[in-house]
Amino acid sequence: MDYFLDIFLIAIGAALINNFVLYYFVGICPFIGVSRRIDMAVGMGFAVTFVITIAAFLSWTITTFILIPGAPISSFIAGFFISKAEAAHIDLTILSYIVYIFAISSSVQFVEMYVKKFFPVLYKSFGVFLPLITTNCAILFACLVIMSNVAGVENPADAWGLGKALTLAFFGGIGFTIAIVIMSGIREELEFCDIPKSLEGAAISFIVAGILAMAFMGFTGVDSGLKKAMKSKDAALSSKLHILDSESQIPKYLKEAEKIEYLT
Amino acid sequence: MAQDPTSFERFIQGIIPENPVYRQLLGLCPTLAVTNNMKAAMTMAGAVAFVLFGANIVISLIRNLLKPHLRIVIFTLTIATFVTIVDRFLAAYMYSMSKALGPYIPLIIVNCIIIARCEVCASKQSVITAGADAIGQSIGFGLALASIAGVREILGTGMFFGLRVMPLTWPDWVIMVLPPGAFFTLGLLLGTFNLIESKMAKNKNKG
Amino acid sequence: MEKFKNNYIIQAWLVVFLSLCFGSALAGVQLVLSPKIEANKINETLAKVPELILGKEGVKRLAKEGLSLKINPRIIQIKKNNRIISYKVFQAIEKGKVSGWVIKSSGRGYADKIELLIGLNPSLNKISGLFIIEQKETPGLGNKIANLDFRKQFISKNTNTAIIASKTGATSPNEIDAITGATISSRSVCSIVNTAVKDLRSSLKKNQIKPI
Repeated sequence: MDYFLDIFLIAIGAALINNFVLYYFVGICPFIGVSRRIDMAVGMGFAVTFVITIAAFLSWTITTFILIPGAPISSFIAGFFISKAEAAHIDLTILSYIVYIFAISSSVQFVEMYVKKFFPVLYKSFGVFLPLITTNCAILFACLVIMSNVAGVENPADAWGLGKALTLAFFGGIGFTIAIVIMSGIREELEFCDIPKSLEGAAISFIVAGILAMAFMGFTGVDSGLKKAMKSKDAALSSKLHILDSESQIPKYLKEAEKIEYLT
Repeated sequence: MAQDPTSFERFIQGIIPENPVYRQLLGLCPTLAVTNNMKAAMTMAGAVAFVLFGANIVISLIRNLLKPHLRIVIFTLTIATFVTIVDRFLAAYMYSMSKALGPYIPLIIVNCIIIARCEVCASKQSVITAGADAIGQSIGFGLALASIAGVREILGTGMFFGLRVMPLTWPDWVIMVLPPGAFFTLGLLLGTFNLIESKMAKNKNKG
Repeated sequence: MEKFKNNYIIQAWLVVFLSLCFGSALAGVQLVLSPKIEANKINETLAKVPELILGKEGVKRLAKEGLSLKINPRIIQIKKNNRIISYKVFQAIEKGKVSGWVIKSSGRGYADKIELLIGLNPSLNKISGLFIIEQKETPGLGNKIANLDFRKQFISKNTNTAIIASKTGATSPNEIDAITGATISSRSVCSIVNTAVKDLRSSLKKNQIKPI
């Protein structure tokens, strides 16, 4: 129950409350550049949603199995050269940015070839946008959020699973689609408006985007209300507490910190 | 074909005539995201300047060895390395700032300014020209960030670099430091920039 | 075939060479900077512990007497609704006696996650301090939860009853004044504090490290 509540809150958060474009400002370039016509905006939105989900899958897999300290693959390989205990501390997260950007660009290439060959209809609707989104910040941003929730957590038990990672990415893409489609609808109407000469083009688009961002601010706080409504049912269960172990799972750096004497 | 611009021309061009934000509309993600206070904006400008300078120099040094179909891979590799270095450096020496900027530092990798400069200038011209170009573009980017962050911080909190500049009776326009304020400020400044430019062009035609 | 393979490697030699150069550069950066980054991460919370337990005067007194607090950081896990929840807890020891506890906890606020530190007295029934590590609440309204005026209301509140943020002004001893226009943020802070204290009070008492 709690897990599905978490998934639901992540989905609402990514699509509406903390919308990728209007709250985090990622993916602004296509948001301004490809939002002149609704059909193009829809194609771009789907392309981004598609690629962002694949990139999230790749980055979650790479982070969990290779990059973080104690990841199975990296410690297995290192186990041949150094002792097992040392191998468990190998931290490759410094390489994460390079790995992500290459994972994204190669998956974009691959997806383009695959879709072109097997789904020509789909390719017709959004294929032209695929090469463009390699440098879309939204994709890398989703990877980074996933990384901070896998590698950045203090306790391994809190790390995100694949389900949460894919939810965030997919609904982030949906949020991007919602924003760009609304924007293109407004811009189609703007063509018939009398805009001051100096504001034409990008400038008026930004002002419209500002009004949209204000509208999306109205979603803030929706999730805490939803959580409350859904939590009240199983609140009675929460009084049962058990204590697990406290020593065995302390990360290495904390064990060292125990020796620190704090001088004021 | 026209003569390639000299170092000095490249340097000047980056600041106003080819300003990366107002003129080329590149690198908009950090421009909007980190400009709710001056400190964050200037740290971001510094980080971009370092990455741009480093990438331009490296690419310019190896420009004769580049193969056309592999050049984008090399650009990306270089940029990602420099971004990682900046990211670790900030985490080590400016920890609170690195936490505040969060994912926007690694997002410099997909900032179009840098890859555009590598493509347009560094992969064709000498090291000195590439360096001058990087400095010019960085100053232009820094000025653009400063103008947006200045407006937003002064109107939104009544402060500038954390110091009070507006009278205490100023009702803080909270919306300016929230996401919508970023869009409004950029839109209006862009409009002002266009207006000034068209006025100047008219005057020139008359004279 | 042989020639074909060679051709690929020759074409990509620059990429391989650059990767090696950049890889070693990054390894150098990692070696030099990573201890510093780890230290930053620990100090972020550790530096706040003495003040949260002893208060400003207490820290000054400690400095005057030339004493130091020994701090044991550890992770405590509890099981709740079949779900494992973990907390980072600091146990502070002064002159061989437990002088207090600090719990690091986080929860959903109005706009985003709120992360905070709660200081508790040795017998775990009174709050001795509160510090907001991270919050992204509305500037000018919700972000006042980080101000001292709001935080000091929690000091010496009894933890046996839940703390409630009141919109109309605190009347009973377990109530605090909510920030005007930011009731949800104030309530979030209260609920994070209540949940963390409730979850940990019994387990901390049973599980404390014997002071040396």
